Amino acid sequence: MGHVAVVGIGQSRFGIRSDASLRELAFEAVKACLEDVGVQLAEVESMVVSVASDELSFALQPSAQVTDYIGFHPKPSFRVEAACASGSMAVRAGWMNVASGLADLVLVVGAEKMTEVPTPIATEVLGRAGDSLWEYPFGMTFPGYYALIAQAHMAKYGTTEAQLAAVAVKNHYYGALNPYAHMRKEITLEKALSSFVVASPLKLYDCCLISDGAAAILLASEKVAKRLRKNPIWLRGLGLGTGSLSLAHREDLTTLGASVEAARQAYDMAGVGPKEIDVAVVHDCFTIAEIVAYEDLGFCPKGEGGPLVEDRQTYIGGRIPVNVDGGLKSKGHPIGTTGVSMAVEITKQLRGEAETGRQVPNAEIGLSHNVGGNGQHAAVHVFGRDKE
Amino acid sequence: MSEAVYGAKCTACGAVSYPRHLVCPKCRGEAFQPAEIGGEGVVLTYTDVYALAIDYDVRYLRLAIVELDGGLRVTGQLLDEEPKLGKRVRTTVGVVRETAGKAIYGLQFVPA
Ligand SMILES: [Zn+2]
Repeated sequence: MGHVAVVGIGQSRFGIRSDASLRELAFEAVKACLEDVGVQLAEVESMVVSVASDELSFALQPSAQVTDYIGFHPKPSFRVEAACASGSMAVRAGWMNVASGLADLVLVVGAEKMTEVPTPIATEVLGRAGDSLWEYPFGMTFPGYYALIAQAHMAKYGTTEAQLAAVAVKNHYYGALNPYAHMRKEITLEKALSSFVVASPLKLYDCCLISDGAAAILLASEKVAKRLRKNPIWLRGLGLGTGSLSLAHREDLTTLGASVEAARQAYDMAGVGPKEIDVAVVHDCFTIAEIVAYEDLGFCPKGEGGPLVEDRQTYIGGRIPVNVDGGLKSKGHPIGTTGVSMAVEITKQLRGEAETGRQVPNAEIGLSHNVGGNGQHAAVHVFGRDKE
Repeated sequence: MSEAVYGAKCTACGAVSYPRHLVCPKCRGEAFQPAEIGGEGVVLTYTDVYALAIDYDVRYLRLAIVELDGGLRVTGQLLDEEPKLGKRVRTTVGVVRETAGKAIYGLQFVPA
């Protein structure tokens, strides 16, 4: 199978973007992406669009909204969906498009508009990302699922609320340095620990933001990539795992089996292991999710995710820098956009183009980890400066 | 109270699944009989959800995943003023939500 490169990246500013519609946000990202590589839309052969929620974005057939607005038709374009992992599904579909030889130049776009509905409605819609028939009717919410995971993790491994808060402090620290981030504000451990309880033990600062935003990447075959860019970044490994719809059906509540499986596939395909990863973005929809991700991705042994962040090992200069773009926590989590934005960030890091204070020095291999729902889907992608 | 919650018992291997699947998760069997879900078990994890979705006018909801004796794991509302992981509880069936004036019944857990 042919090699696939990321040749262009772009994204909109994340936040409460009442100034822009879904299609305008998508356009912002697409424009930045094409300008990044100096490609005209006319040269792009195919497109994949990720929008996670029809109900939040008021968009049935969102792919048509985007293709029409940017003037892409009649060329191929379709939409993919896997809740919060939708963006990574789009990256995967884009990779398949290129690797199969169907197209040489494919645009991958993620866009989501979440702030047009009141928070209780958003809570309602997101709660249904789990088992909408058998868990959600009890009043389960999205933070509720991760709170159940957090309680189990704390009981089994002694993970503390201060360790959860340390994730938030780190991600806000880096988010403050990212001009595209929704909440560019550092927070203290005390502030995080004293914020109100959303779903015990998770407090306000353990939860990611509800944001609007879009991101785009341009994928190319080896032949075309070499023409467009001297040093493209290569998408070297892809993994996709799935897990039970009901959280109750997981044998171990302290791990996401889908993440473990996705990581195994991606490491295998890329021919690397967790120790070779120089920079990672992981799915920190809640602080506990980042700690569980460290363990599921093999950055530390099971149960040692809490101490890893407490010892500042996931800061730049530590064992493995994680979410130095602010993560979902501070950069924001427009759900369908996140996976594409993760690819943007890792590409930026491997090119050495991240903003001052948040560039991992000389990063050669990077990883993205994106979870759908509470582990029904998980995608892991490995990127490298070298193609193998 | 005559309300009950039913899962599905595989006629081939006897494993009970809840909610039911099209195919038995244990033996891939495809024939089932209804099986009442309930009894005693232990709390595996729980949370108090304060930021609630629409339809609720309580301050918080206490939700739990319980492993019933026999190994089946179920989600429900925990009605216990002194919740603890590992604590023994038993199931009851009650109104877990009211939406558009209609009561939705589901599993609740009380101290055993
Ligand atoms: Zn069976």
